Amino acid sequence: MLAVFVVCALFALLGLILGYSARRFKVEGDPLVDKIDAVLPQTQCGQCGFPGCRPYAEAIARGDADINQCPPGGEEGVIALADLLGVEPKPLSAEHGIEKPKSVAIIDESKCIGCTLCIQACPVDAILGAAKHMHTVIASECTGCELCVAPCPVDCIRMEPVKETLATWRWPEPKAVGQ
Amino acid sequence: MKVEVAYAKPDVQVILTVNVPENATAETAIAASGILDRFPEIDLTKDKIGIFSKVCSIDQPIKPGDRVEIYRPLIADPKEARRARAAKK
Repeated sequence: MLAVFVVCALFALLGLILGYSARRFKVEGDPLVDKIDAVLPQTQCGQCGFPGCRPYAEAIARGDADINQCPPGGEEGVIALADLLGVEPKPLSAEHGIEKPKSVAIIDESKCIGCTLCIQACPVDAILGAAKHMHTVIASECTGCELCVAPCPVDCIRMEPVKETLATWRWPEPKAVGQ
Repeated sequence: MKVEVAYAKPDVQVILTVNVPENATAETAIAASGILDRFPEIDLTKDKIGIFSKVCSIDQPIKPGDRVEIYRPLIADPKEARRARAAKK
């Protein structure tokens, strides 16, 4: 009888240790994907050929995608990715687009017919509006991905480079070594 | 629960995060955000509101993470705009 108790107690103890270590040493997802995702610009523009920055990060981690497919990230983004992954940087791949200054979308209110096509195209919910109501770009949310421009049936969306104001000014990124 | 209340004009857009009780409606969220004091031109008897681009009534119950949006009317008449485009072609 004693043996049964001892074994039960032992199992309970081991179970507690296992349960504790599962929580204490939990690995949240793939840390490499998180690190790559943190370097990407989060425009969710899809120019890399993947449906957003995180799927692209996953593809890079798997080895299915190259590091030079992100035009919004630019040459600096490629260099940051190369540093992170310990590979040689390479020029941006032309077939995925060219690097442009950061822009936001602006809707011409006198033309907007409230069709919601731009709202459906926006990957980051940066357009406020509903059917037959004025659509307005929330500039602080807009990533400048240009995905709303093409669907507009009345061509009332244009991209404008972000003006440098006190609110948008950032310390310039340091130039990478060897540039 | 946390929800957002948003209003946008061409020159200024705001998204306010507010904490509201579980059984809140769109109206309580708007009142709690204080957005009506900031934009006195909002008239909830006339202006439509909605949640994530779907128009809803003012007493619509809301869920955590919803964005309660206050809309403005169109300037262009969609039918006139269509006629003008058809005439151009």
